[in-house]
Amino acid sequence: MRGLHVYILLAAAALALVFADQLTSYWMHVAIIAMFYGILASSWSLLAGYAGLFSLGHMAFASIGGYASGLLVQWYGIPIPVGMAAGVALCCALGGLIGWVCLRMSGPYLAIFTLGFAEIVRITFATEDDITSGMAGLHVERLFDTPSRLPYFYTAFALLAVSLLLMGGIVRSRWGLFLRAIREDEQAASASGVAVARFRILVFAIASGFAGLAGGFYGHYLGILTPSLGGLDLMAVLVVMTVIGGIERLPTAVGGAFAVEFLLEVLRGDDQWRLPLFGIVLLLTMRFARNGLLTPVWLQFVRLGEARAAATMASRDVPQKDPGR
Amino acid sequence: MSWDYLFVQVANGAVIGVIYALIAVGVTLIFSILKIVNFAHGDLYMLGGYFAYYVITLLGMPPLAAMFVSMAALFAFAIVLERMLLTPLYDDATERKDEYGLIVTFGLAFFLRNIAVIAFGPFPLKPPSFIPGVQRVGGLIITNDRLFAGGVGIALILALLYFMHRTIWGQALDAVSQSRESAAIVGINARRFNSFAFGIGAALAAAAGALIAPIFSLAPDMGVLPNIHAFVIVILGGMGSVLGSILAGILLGEAETLFTAFFPDPTRALAYTNGFGLLILMIVLVFRPQGLFGRRHLRME
Repeated sequence: MRGLHVYILLAAAALALVFADQLTSYWMHVAIIAMFYGILASSWSLLAGYAGLFSLGHMAFASIGGYASGLLVQWYGIPIPVGMAAGVALCCALGGLIGWVCLRMSGPYLAIFTLGFAEIVRITFATEDDITSGMAGLHVERLFDTPSRLPYFYTAFALLAVSLLLMGGIVRSRWGLFLRAIREDEQAASASGVAVARFRILVFAIASGFAGLAGGFYGHYLGILTPSLGGLDLMAVLVVMTVIGGIERLPTAVGGAFAVEFLLEVLRGDDQWRLPLFGIVLLLTMRFARNGLLTPVWLQFVRLGEARAAATMASRDVPQKDPGR
Repeated sequence: MSWDYLFVQVANGAVIGVIYALIAVGVTLIFSILKIVNFAHGDLYMLGGYFAYYVITLLGMPPLAAMFVSMAALFAFAIVLERMLLTPLYDDATERKDEYGLIVTFGLAFFLRNIAVIAFGPFPLKPPSFIPGVQRVGGLIITNDRLFAGGVGIALILALLYFMHRTIWGQALDAVSQSRESAAIVGINARRFNSFAFGIGAALAAAAGALIAPIFSLAPDMGVLPNIHAFVIVILGGMGSVLGSILAGILLGEAETLFTAFFPDPTRALAYTNGFGLLILMIVLVFRPQGLFGRRHLRME
């Protein structure tokens, strides 16, 4: 049964949906935030892991998406989904612009540039308090008019699922191959006919759009937005999540986000120690298991179905093309 | 707007600029030898400030001596960090070294900043002055600490320049930064200089932290902004150029102080000052990525 892991995942998702109402309100909140980070981690993995564009401005785009949607809804009274869509569109446009401006930058230069961008966004949101309410936080209309968290859970689930399906489609297509070619060697990719400039801009726009989507949902879920959403601290948390899980695959990045968010809540008693602890885990991961802690687990999981498929194929005496993959 | 006010601002800007330069020179030195941008440099600066503080308050040493002790301690600490975390950078089997250096130093900054909250507490601390009191020249008033910080900062930078250009170790460092292979051919142990450069950079940051502590105060997140400033300076001055960093540091210190002093809306001036520096950074990165005084062979592709 090839693709056994897909069925297992679908079953797990179905179970999660069916039994979601059994969760306490607190853990449902944790799950919703975990899915919010899941969208961010997977889109950042698309940008930093697949395309090798190590942007530190990802949380800034989430912040822009959230503020744009919240403010548009507040000013013009448009429906919230339209506001979120506008936030996504704005983030795509801005992301594409940033991607175009840093076309010639690589590695650390790109990181420093996007860091500068993120800080300027944060400072502006914090300072223009007659528009954004500054550090006091902007009150955003909530998506559902109910105290229950269940509708938010389903919405977050749907957004994460759709994001993963779209991004999964991208990385499995020729585009994913092009992105990885750009990451490995831009000149060689260009020589082999990859339109490097176009894809760098495109991947920046796409990843930023997903960040804006996550940010828009976050604002309309919590009902309040502060400039710290786009700050360096949360960016560091996002890096920790993605790298610990495995930056080079979407599922491992999402797994990292889930695991770290869950552990952060479990360790809430040791409030002070949990952040340095994850710092150490990140350093150890980089030092000794650069592919991420969840990557071997995921590969084993994927192989689960393939091994059985290979075995049944072999027993039928069909010649194998590539058995030992 | 009186002339006195302008002069005070220019003098303050110069002092802050020298301190920025001290931090930025370390970033440049580490970049030119190890080929990584150290995102944890501001946190080494923070540790240096705290270390000096505890040497003063617990051991009762005079502030200037404490600064040198702190420099020595951070030199050793940085070498330990470099040995533990950065050795994969020199291994040919490591793929995408840029990315490795980035994530590791970024993670290290996250770790140091958060561990500092536990070790030193979240509240600002203020060590005693180097020299209490103020100087008056006409209508000018400048605290002695600022003059002292500027003076010692300049002395340290001059010492570094002397070291880089006039001693055999400094020449060897320069050789490694230009070509690792050629340096190895003439018998320079490049690996040893990786540790050495990282240590020197950290020691300079520690000195900056100890010098700035009586002027502003110590806080676990005090390194974040200077770190970004160091990047602005290093980009402005050109990656790998020590002299460029010094000039750009003073330039940025002046530009920012004057920006704050003359920004039309005073309630927002301070907040936008940092944004102003970052805007310079982004513009220079787009239009002149090798910086104003960049050395060609050190441009990173």
